[in-house]
Amino acid sequence: MNRRMWLAAALLLAAGTVSCGGGGGGGGAGGKTTVVFWEFFPAEVIRPIVDKFEATHPGVKVDLQQLTWQGGLEKISASVAAGTAPDLCEIGSTWEAKFASSGALEDWTADVQIMLPRHRLWEAVKFDDRYFGIPWVMGTRALFYNKELFARAGLDSSKAPETWSQVLADSRKIRALGESTYGFGLQSGDRYKLFKKFMSLAWSNGGEILSPDQKRVVFDSPQNLAALKFYLSLRPYALMDRQETLDQGFKEGRIGMQVSGAWLFKTIPHDAPSLRYGVGLVPAPPGGRHASFAGAEILASFKGSRHPREALMLAQFLVAPENAAALCQAAKDVQPSAVGSEDSDYYRQRPMEQIFVRQLETAVAPPNISQWVDMEGAIEEALEEALHDKVTPEQALKNAQRKLEALLAAKGS
Amino acid sequence: MSARGGAGAGLGFWGPAFLLPWLVSFGLFGAYPLLFSLRLSFMSYNPLNAAAQKFVGLQNYVTAFHDPVFATALRNTALFALGTLPVTTTLALGLALLLERKFPMRDALRAGFFFPSVVSAVVISILFKQIYSPYGLLNSTLRGAGFSPPHWLEDPRLALPCIMVMDVWSSVGYYAVLFLAALQAVPAEIRESAVLEGASALRVFRSVLLPQLQPMLLFVLVINTIRSLQIFTEVFVMTSGGPMHSTTTAVYHLYDQAFFRFEHGYASALAYILTGIILVVSLLQARFLQFGEGTGT
Amino acid sequence: MIMARASAFRAFRISPLLLLAWAPLAWMVWLAVRVPQGEALTLGLGNFSDLLGSGPFLRYTLNSAIVAAWVVGLNLLFASLVGYALARGRFRGKRPLLFSILITLMVPRQVTMIPVYLMAARMHMIDTYPALIAPFAVDAFNIFLMRQYMQQIPPEMEDAARVDGASELRIFFQVVMPMVRPALAVMGVNTFLVNWNSFLYPLVLTNSDAMRTLPVGLALYAQGEHSVDWGHLMAGALIGTLPVLAAFLAFQKQIVEGILAGTGK
Repeated sequence: MNRRMWLAAALLLAAGTVSCGGGGGGGGAGGKTTVVFWEFFPAEVIRPIVDKFEATHPGVKVDLQQLTWQGGLEKISASVAAGTAPDLCEIGSTWEAKFASSGALEDWTADVQIMLPRHRLWEAVKFDDRYFGIPWVMGTRALFYNKELFARAGLDSSKAPETWSQVLADSRKIRALGESTYGFGLQSGDRYKLFKKFMSLAWSNGGEILSPDQKRVVFDSPQNLAALKFYLSLRPYALMDRQETLDQGFKEGRIGMQVSGAWLFKTIPHDAPSLRYGVGLVPAPPGGRHASFAGAEILASFKGSRHPREALMLAQFLVAPENAAALCQAAKDVQPSAVGSEDSDYYRQRPMEQIFVRQLETAVAPPNISQWVDMEGAIEEALEEALHDKVTPEQALKNAQRKLEALLAAKGS
Repeated sequence: MSARGGAGAGLGFWGPAFLLPWLVSFGLFGAYPLLFSLRLSFMSYNPLNAAAQKFVGLQNYVTAFHDPVFATALRNTALFALGTLPVTTTLALGLALLLERKFPMRDALRAGFFFPSVVSAVVISILFKQIYSPYGLLNSTLRGAGFSPPHWLEDPRLALPCIMVMDVWSSVGYYAVLFLAALQAVPAEIRESAVLEGASALRVFRSVLLPQLQPMLLFVLVINTIRSLQIFTEVFVMTSGGPMHSTTTAVYHLYDQAFFRFEHGYASALAYILTGIILVVSLLQARFLQFGEGTGT
Repeated sequence: MIMARASAFRAFRISPLLLLAWAPLAWMVWLAVRVPQGEALTLGLGNFSDLLGSGPFLRYTLNSAIVAAWVVGLNLLFASLVGYALARGRFRGKRPLLFSILITLMVPRQVTMIPVYLMAARMHMIDTYPALIAPFAVDAFNIFLMRQYMQQIPPEMEDAARVDGASELRIFFQVVMPMVRPALAVMGVNTFLVNWNSFLYPLVLTNSDAMRTLPVGLALYAQGEHSVDWGHLMAGALIGTLPVLAAFLAFQKQIVEGILAGTGK
């Protein structure tokens, strides 16, 4: 008797658990579609926006997974190769062409037509005149300067230097302040990063990598040579190191100026709350424009996704101006791709962050071509050799030109 | 046979059954991958574009032969081996001689010198990255002493030597242990008779100890070379192969090709070339010693 | 008397060298426990609690422990079984088998890495414990070690058990294994150290924070924006070193024995 009662109780309990569990997830098993979404933002930044999507789209559930920049490309590539790619995925703009050219991405050309005028940087997702994704948020680089060091060196600390000659002169004065104080933070050989710093200057001076039709390499040009010579001329007054070390030096108040990213708006208040600093556009030569590197986070879907329609729905929701703005304000290191964002209240109240949105107007995206990752490497290799005086600046550009031509010719192989 | 009993009866049916774990493991993680990557090394194979895989014959090997980065990587490896070997060996041997005789706290001191060599390479690399960083231990100290210090890991001439110094620091204890064992195996009579004949300490070392240590010296030479050929973690953590490939090693280049660029075919060819080099070195080792290699990382 | 003083002097003379050997490690501890508070510096465990409390470091540590425990356990069992069969068994094909072990010892792991990665990817095993454990479950060097040791123990005990009618499995577990306990300790601690510190394979075979081991997690944390976050990095490094220190203090003799076993001594 006793045993039977126990058994009954256990059965009841089990049934209860099952029915309760069923009550929670039952709808999912019934009518809900689960969209697998891989992205790179921290959960606390993206989760609220995804929650909002789920609330407004009761039929869809989002399976959110965070990637890391160190292993993300590998993970995506492996999943594409294994046929287990996510329904929706965040992709860095410099990787886009690699995936698009191998035919792995879903063609969204028809679906994005009406969005074209409302967002920037569509060239980042355009490949062979088709659109393989939507630019979600953007990132660029601008000039950070330390107001205290400027004041100590007797310089005007109320605004950022705007021209190359001003930057050079200011760097020299700040370097003279002491052995461990540097005028400028100069990016040395840092993969994926060095070319962004150099090309910002080259683009400002009217230089380019490829001709507009992407048929010719135009890297070995007088404009690029002048930019490289300016870059090299900063060396005596600069700390030459990797991005993170430069950021650290800047936060510790040892570096007068550096070109860096909006992630500093997140880390400076935490690591160096008392730092007095300002932000300006990337300096330009006389008559040049203040160009910078423009990168985008792209939302794209892979062929073979089981829920392409829901993936597109989620993507369209995420890039909607209010949702993208919410993401940018929480993440701080990216800016919205929607046209007109710089006039929003948020950026009007934060002039330094607003500069990044303004910088985007003149920022340039590298060519969207499947060999880009290798081209980037070839450019950086040549720049490094010039930085370490292994070759003359003229020779460095010639070397890069030759390698880029070989890479361009290898297209399609 | 197994029914006979007695010494070494064999295990009958159970013998092969006990071997099963090895057979499975060797098949799955030894033989199959070896053959598969040999096949890959003759192919153009990129998992991002599985449709485009095709046989290319010896193309990958030809490419490797003309690959300037691979040539740099091999040169860096040779520099690493040639640079660290004499220093590590001399220091380790000296340390072993110091620690060989009996004195108070000897065992604790031996342990103290040995310990750094069992610490993870990642931990040591991070630690030394700090020490070499622009505002790290070394440069703060040098600045404090009034010097204008260089940028160790950012200077193409200094980065590899910096990693080599770290390697010497972290492996001296390991080789000292080997030399200590070899020293203790020297028969006491040989040494004593030399001392009784009035030979100087240096002479005893040169004419008595050194010949006895020769096999161990060879062994150290071989494993240090193999280890140099396989250096990866330090480079991955500290320099990513830079600046200007000055710290790119053979395995780092292989990793870069396989897992950044996904050129699995080419990377497999590099792996086979590397294996060929290591096998030659290992065969030398096997000639001098009967069997086996140090740790299997 | 003079001799004793001379040898005490030797210890004294060596100590600066020891200081040199330990200075970097001491620096690591110092950076880990120092907590900047405004201008003043205080000592504390803040870096450790930050690291274990918020980030994935607890997960990394746990993963390392789980993987190491499995790999050590499986090797204790399998390498002993195989070593025993090779030491005692008489069967055809023993020579090729010994050769397969020798080949495995000589071929660098990097050459099998790409196929193992592709195999794991195809079987959807990337980022799983089995992918981190299986390739190391039966280590060739451990087999070699166990075979050497088992050849040295006399077979009389096993034969006596056999006469008593014990099964081969029973003989292995109840007669052989207790006799080779010293060798098991050597194998166990060295396998632990190698696995706890291993980097390249776990780097390739994992791609999420949930599955990364401590060395991989630490090395990747040391890249990108955290690469100069020395306090937390050193705390992580120290967390990774403490189990090694514990194993070292407890099993130093066995570690040395394992190293010497590789020299053919």
